[in-house]
Amino acid sequence: MNGDVEELLRESMDRSTADMRVPADMLARARTRVRHRQLAVRAALACGTAAVTAAAVIIVAGVAAQPGTGGGTNAQTTAYVIKRVQNALAAANFVIQGQATGTMTVSVHGRRVTSSDGLTSSWSYGKRSRMVEFTGRDCGHYLPGSGYCTHRGGSELYLADGTAVLGGKLTGAYVTYYNHKYSLSPLGQDHLKPCSPTAQLVLGGPSVTMSNWPAFIKAMLGCDDATVTGHARIGGVETTVISGSVDVPLSKGYARSVREKRVRVRFTLYVDSATYLPVRAYGSTETYGGAAGPTVSAYVTNVRWLRPTAANIAKTLVTIPPGYTRVSSPAQQ
Amino acid sequence: MQDAQGPGELERLLAERGRDLMRTAALLTGSRQDGEDLLQAALERLLRRGRRLDNPAGYLRRTLYNLAADGWRRQGAWRRKLAIIGASDPAGEADAMAAVDLRDALMRALRTLPPQQRAVIVLRYWEQLSEAETAMMLGCSEGTVKSAASRGLQRMRELARSWQEPEGGPERGTKNGLATAIKLTEGRS
Repeated sequence: MNGDVEELLRESMDRSTADMRVPADMLARARTRVRHRQLAVRAALACGTAAVTAAAVIIVAGVAAQPGTGGGTNAQTTAYVIKRVQNALAAANFVIQGQATGTMTVSVHGRRVTSSDGLTSSWSYGKRSRMVEFTGRDCGHYLPGSGYCTHRGGSELYLADGTAVLGGKLTGAYVTYYNHKYSLSPLGQDHLKPCSPTAQLVLGGPSVTMSNWPAFIKAMLGCDDATVTGHARIGGVETTVISGSVDVPLSKGYARSVREKRVRVRFTLYVDSATYLPVRAYGSTETYGGAAGPTVSAYVTNVRWLRPTAANIAKTLVTIPPGYTRVSSPAQQ
Repeated sequence: MQDAQGPGELERLLAERGRDLMRTAALLTGSRQDGEDLLQAALERLLRRGRRLDNPAGYLRRTLYNLAADGWRRQGAWRRKLAIIGASDPAGEADAMAAVDLRDALMRALRTLPPQQRAVIVLRYWEQLSEAETAMMLGCSEGTVKSAASRGLQRMRELARSWQEPEGGPERGTKNGLATAIKLTEGRS
């Protein structure tokens, strides 16, 4: 037994790290950070104050919200950071790639049961977008209404949602791979009103899953729900953390069907402290106030900003595989 | 910026040894992204050194282990927040697609060990160093290495035992829970 576990452990460690490589820009990032630190130390020595060191090392001068500095300072910090983020999002001309993983926790006879929600991969550029979902590991996705699994054993491409070019025209497209169906819709019908309950709910889901995602985030940051809560390093990048929480009433029909009344949406954006563009987004929703017991879904999306090359832009379009059957709406899929 | 290690030497070092160092860093931290952060932090320490080292690879490796054993990034409050809702920080996209089996469970258990125990386990069973070599690497006594390895391995064995138990074993994580949920959902439909 002992030898078995040691051998399994070795094998597990080997397998889990088999595909790891050092990122190409790691050394350059390390050199930049060391240089910044050296500059900060020199500035502090020149001014003779420790305070300058602290501010300069953080690099984003004026952003550091320290505990005990008072609500006024934090409000100013939040306003400053959010303005910078909104400006960066407005000026950004990138293909955006998002990779989201999620979990869902449901209450089953008083027990909390958590399942993995599979991988969501998405691309967005201007009005174009493509989101693909892979099934979870254990049983694919629960099919609406029946509760059955699409399949068992391993993760598979499950659906694609976004835009396609058909007859030279950009149109909405929704493809389900497990039953070989697709539907088309005019563009813009899923336009969300900023700060509306529906838009708030979208913040609690995976990110980069829509056209004009930067414009959506820019608008949502103007809803006065977000505050700067600190700093974190994500994938070697210094980030400023912006968090918020909103409480949304469920629509009457939906509330009746899920036997809950309200949903609490939490979101956190990790924005690069140098460019102010988001590099990670976290969103969750939690139902409460009814008899069913809370259902919590949570997503972490890693966001990359890529140059708008032809190859990258091509990834923002859904393609319909040959032989698939067209149906009139996603509800029939 | 001029490196004390000489022009191009760090690039060569990362080209030759980077992958091994990256794998070790990921094992020590429990995820690819934290591993990248840890390795970058070690590189920064190397870059900040004013004088040339005879064995920069050895220095990097030792720094990785020492930073990890010191509980590097323990302060990540946002990470604890994620843990509360059960969204473990993924070790990258591949992790999301990995099969749930005992190997996965062992890696998850490894992530839950205290930093020093994890460092000892990685040194003993990944790098296959002796107890004396491990103690030297971490700057602690052989006795500390022995007890940390024993406790860490004990948790792995408990996990392996419970995994091999029939239905209802307490440590199977979401697998049993999900099976229960599927049955209940199917029963209702």
